[in-house]
Amino acid sequence: MTRNSKETHLLFLLTVGLFSWLIPGGGYFLLKEKKRAIIIFSAITLTFCTGLYIGSIGVIDPVGSKFPYAGQLISSPVVAIIGYHTSGGGYNVYGKPREIGQLYTGLAGMLNLLCIINAIYLAHLRRTKTTGV
Amino acid sequence: MTKLTIFIMATFTSPENIGTDPKSMLWLLPLTTAVAIVYKATKLQTITWKNFIKEVITLLGSIAVFLIITALVLYAFAWFTTE
Repeated sequence: MTRNSKETHLLFLLTVGLFSWLIPGGGYFLLKEKKRAIIIFSAITLTFCTGLYIGSIGVIDPVGSKFPYAGQLISSPVVAIIGYHTSGGGYNVYGKPREIGQLYTGLAGMLNLLCIINAIYLAHLRRTKTTGV
Repeated sequence: MTKLTIFIMATFTSPENIGTDPKSMLWLLPLTTAVAIVYKATKLQTITWKNFIKEVITLLGSIAVFLIITALVLYAFAWFTTE
């Protein structure tokens, strides 16, 4: 693999990863795996929205719960926008709804991390299969 | 904005009322389903609906059984140590 093609390959992998983060399943969509992309998008978005429904948008708390917020942020950049609005403390939530809401939204992020890594790996495999390097 | 849109948005600004009773553990089921769906969507080489649903149900069942067994073991352990 020449240096130029290596750079192009790296850029493609980065694009796949970025798309996967921007929209869950977006990386698979780039790889023309439409069925897989739709399933992943639906499952992750639904899990995330269920978390928000159970615990309200207050479960996204960049000030009070930084560790869960880091996990939630992996699911989509939308989390940062919601976090910006909730950081003022106007949507406080406590107890079981907070716990379950954070569990759902955090898990949505972790599942998206799995998909990001898998999409990048799939993109890399396809490239190496076609180029043979 | 329509009334429906405002109503939908409002449901996301106040938390649901969930108790601390054993029934609240049922909230784990949709979570387990999401894990099974996403995991199988990443692992299967080719996705055909029939095969995909079968694989998801199998994984969901095995996770649920494992959770139940773990809960029973922990419950028995707690019972033996406190009685």
